[in-house]
Amino acid sequence: MKRRDFLKFIGIGGVGAGAGFVLGKVSKPPGAKLIPYLIPPEDIVPGVATWYASVCTLCGAGCGTLVRVMEGRAKKVEGNPGHPVNRGGLCALGQSSVQALYNPDRITKPLKRKGPRGSGEYAEITWDEALKTLAGNLTELKSKNESEKLHLLASPLGGTIDRLAGEFVSAFGSSNYSHYGLFQRKNLAFANLSAMGTASVPHYDIENTKYLLSFGADFASTWVSPVNYSNGYGKMRQGAGERGKLVQVEPRLSLTGASADEWVPAKPGTEALLALAIANTIVEKGLARDASAWRGVLSRYKAKDAASVCDVSVERIEAMAVEFARTRPSLAIAGDSVSSYENGVSGAIAVNILNQVAGNIGIIGGVMPNGDDLGNGKKIDFGRKISTLISAANAGKIKTLIVYGANPVFTTPKAARLEEALSKVPFIASFSSFMDETTAHADIILPAHTSLEDWGDDFPDPGVAAPVASLIQPVVGPVFDTKSLGDIFIELAKAVGGNVAGKINAPNFAEYLKASWKGLYSRNREMAAGTLGFEDFWNKALQRGGWWGPSRKRTATVSARAGEHLAGTPARFEGEEAQYPFYLIPYAQTAYMDGRGANLPWLQELPDPMTSVVWGTWVEINPKTAASLGLKEGDMVNIESPFGKISAPVYLYPGIRPDTVAVPIGQGHSHYGRYAKGRGANPIEILPFKEDPLSGEAALNSTRVRITRGATGERMVKMEGSTKELGRGIVQTVSPSEFKRMKKEVV
Amino acid sequence: MPGFLERIAGKLKSYREPGYYTKLDHKWTMVIDLDKCNGCEACVVACYAENNLPVVGKEQCEKSRAFSWLRIERYVEGEYPDVKVKFIPVMCQHCMKAPCETGCPVYATYHNQDGLNVQVYNRCVGTFTCATYCTYDVRRFNWFTYKWPKPLEAQLNPDVSVREMGVMEKCTFCIQRIRSAKDTAKDEARPVKDGDIKPACSQSCPTGAIYFGDMQDPESVVAKLAKSPRRYRLLEELNADPSVIYLKRVMGDGTSSHE
Repeated sequence: MKRRDFLKFIGIGGVGAGAGFVLGKVSKPPGAKLIPYLIPPEDIVPGVATWYASVCTLCGAGCGTLVRVMEGRAKKVEGNPGHPVNRGGLCALGQSSVQALYNPDRITKPLKRKGPRGSGEYAEITWDEALKTLAGNLTELKSKNESEKLHLLASPLGGTIDRLAGEFVSAFGSSNYSHYGLFQRKNLAFANLSAMGTASVPHYDIENTKYLLSFGADFASTWVSPVNYSNGYGKMRQGAGERGKLVQVEPRLSLTGASADEWVPAKPGTEALLALAIANTIVEKGLARDASAWRGVLSRYKAKDAASVCDVSVERIEAMAVEFARTRPSLAIAGDSVSSYENGVSGAIAVNILNQVAGNIGIIGGVMPNGDDLGNGKKIDFGRKISTLISAANAGKIKTLIVYGANPVFTTPKAARLEEALSKVPFIASFSSFMDETTAHADIILPAHTSLEDWGDDFPDPGVAAPVASLIQPVVGPVFDTKSLGDIFIELAKAVGGNVAGKINAPNFAEYLKASWKGLYSRNREMAAGTLGFEDFWNKALQRGGWWGPSRKRTATVSARAGEHLAGTPARFEGEEAQYPFYLIPYAQTAYMDGRGANLPWLQELPDPMTSVVWGTWVEINPKTAASLGLKEGDMVNIESPFGKISAPVYLYPGIRPDTVAVPIGQGHSHYGRYAKGRGANPIEILPFKEDPLSGEAALNSTRVRITRGATGERMVKMEGSTKELGRGIVQTVSPSEFKRMKKEVV
Repeated sequence: MPGFLERIAGKLKSYREPGYYTKLDHKWTMVIDLDKCNGCEACVVACYAENNLPVVGKEQCEKSRAFSWLRIERYVEGEYPDVKVKFIPVMCQHCMKAPCETGCPVYATYHNQDGLNVQVYNRCVGTFTCATYCTYDVRRFNWFTYKWPKPLEAQLNPDVSVREMGVMEKCTFCIQRIRSAKDTAKDEARPVKDGDIKPACSQSCPTGAIYFGDMQDPESVVAKLAKSPRRYRLLEELNADPSVIYLKRVMGDGTSSHE
């Protein structure tokens, strides 16, 4: 039987909704309960796989998945070919979500702190005791009229669970619910809010563009919605139409840059000025389509001025401008090399202006704005930053902190002194499934399910210029004694009682979710098409993985008001050039992302695509720079900023500016399980504590460093031998002009 | 009786000659478009998940004992700022004249009627001959019996055997998926359709760079792509007749690196 038939089978049988629970019974640890196979559950046939549609939650992209389950165990996570976000593909991180589910280092039971904070020493307790302890703490807070001193810090959750968490906090009487994570792309959202009126990332139609100008957007590995963009990239290169071109502007050649036709290594911090100079050149040459609002502002950014600041020749700027304006459609995207600075919003706005001037907004193959299609009213609160949380903690304004998903102890610089601030919080609870660095500070841990065991939904941001609502369903029963994240909030609300219990009165999260979708169904008439009422719709949505509607074309104009936020100067880097000669670029690596992938053995052993290094951290240095410092590959060096020092082995990397060094983020964990703990170094530790003042997004590219010898540490292990083909013609190429003359194969 | 033994001897002898297979049932072929591949390595992890590949740890990786049946090779040309980077996914090429097959003393690796180069784990005695003969360095040896810490073993794919110490292994083109598609087709009394089979790497590929199908079906996607003027095969001059066809990357300065 094929997978699609199985899906039909599950949907029609109406067991989709209960499938997880059925499985739950049989996949409990041995000894808990045995179900005789005389009358087996209908979706458990030994040796035959059942597929469940769900959503990958390892990053924020929201790729639809199909999970292969056999005898109650998840075997493989694959992309859902019908899902509009990923269209069947799934990245390395997403594939590894089964290793998060079956991770040997998961928190298996509720825990209570035994040792000092941060030590990770805990004693096992029951769920009853855990819920009572936390509820007792919250009730005490309430009775003392200190409800406002409850803070909830979560990873950027979306959908119904986010609403439930928000409802819980507000019903309790607190307004302190914030999201934190690296790579939240709040700069992009803010730039779009001020430019186009919606605080969301638009859909970049890479598939249909013919000239893609990427400012450090590493969409082949981790940027925003990697699988969606990679799918578009494949079609842009070898799709039905003419082959599109990719130009990458960034100081360090990223994985995406490696596939680019041209690499423009502009000086770090000046990329926004380069974007504006390109826009101005387009205007000056009379190639602009819509520059009425921008002529005045742009006239300050002359190509000849930018050339020396950005370290890109005038000829090259002009050539880029002409090609960008003349090629139809073209598209510029604001990745990390414009938006990861302290004025990242400014960089993202500069790229918006460039798109506006070239007439790329609201067109196929350009920027397609996303709106609040399903009426979720999702808002990003730009005011809630990690710095506000830290100062609140220091001022004694946080009595109880609940953490879920976010790991700020790992992802904020030492200069933020977060651990010191946490020590001033009397009570910390974590709902994490893993002993990450922040959870190791918790007084009590109530472990939540991983997403393969839990209910949920997802409204992808960025959207795909079409309404999409995806459903997450449990594909296997809980592996350990954990609870659904939603159920923890609901049970906590019951235990706290009063108006909190009154506000959140669902029997469990599965019911809460279903009720929430009932609302969605009644608000959006499109969803009703072809269904026999809500139950039918719900089963179909579970079977397909959600609901998605036809594409909606929107347009927008970058309003002149956005110009207020243009910085007009290069981004600042801490540290004097004389003492700290190199720019530091900490970047999100394919496998580890912000560090979350480091506990998954497949990802530790996955060779980094650009360096082939496994199981560790490295520092990328230009071979010429290394020679001038007398360094060879594998030498251990200290990387020292004004804020601290880490050490890592040298990797000679020709794709980086001689005045820049780069270190991948993700290793250097002090907790987080056997695969991650005590391995490599974390470059975030030595950064200054800077965030964009407007959006609150962390500024990662913000310090200079010096490289010194005399460090000790782990050896670097790389899987490759030579980086050269040695004339063997292994990867053969044809030139673009030769390709144009070739007959195209039709498939 | 002597006639019977001679027939058997003759048959065995014919197996030692390349090209003994006169007619294949299928000729499974992979086409990889290097102009689409962006080197993201999703395929590598998909292969680990599908085929029960063990994680060996840093020390074993250092001895080049990592298990990836599929790897992304990355080549760098030129110096800053004119750096060109190229990727190529390399797995077992399922050569029609495979050097590994002639070397095996126990016939653990042979060519089957689907045109696949297959490895019989139960026959393998671990002489390492095939890995030495392999042109593409795609064979992996079980130096140890690897363990999956509990409960990671719950993820293991029951359709694929877990190998033990002393056995050679390599990419199978996801033979378990081919088998299951053929079984389904048989149950439905029809031939296997183009698109029925997707190996794990091809299924996961975000850019859609990996195509798979039957070369004997002239209407299949791979048969059409194989006619592309961009087609080439890896180290073709060695004449191993690989079943993996690459489509050349379209790239900047345009000098084909192997003319």
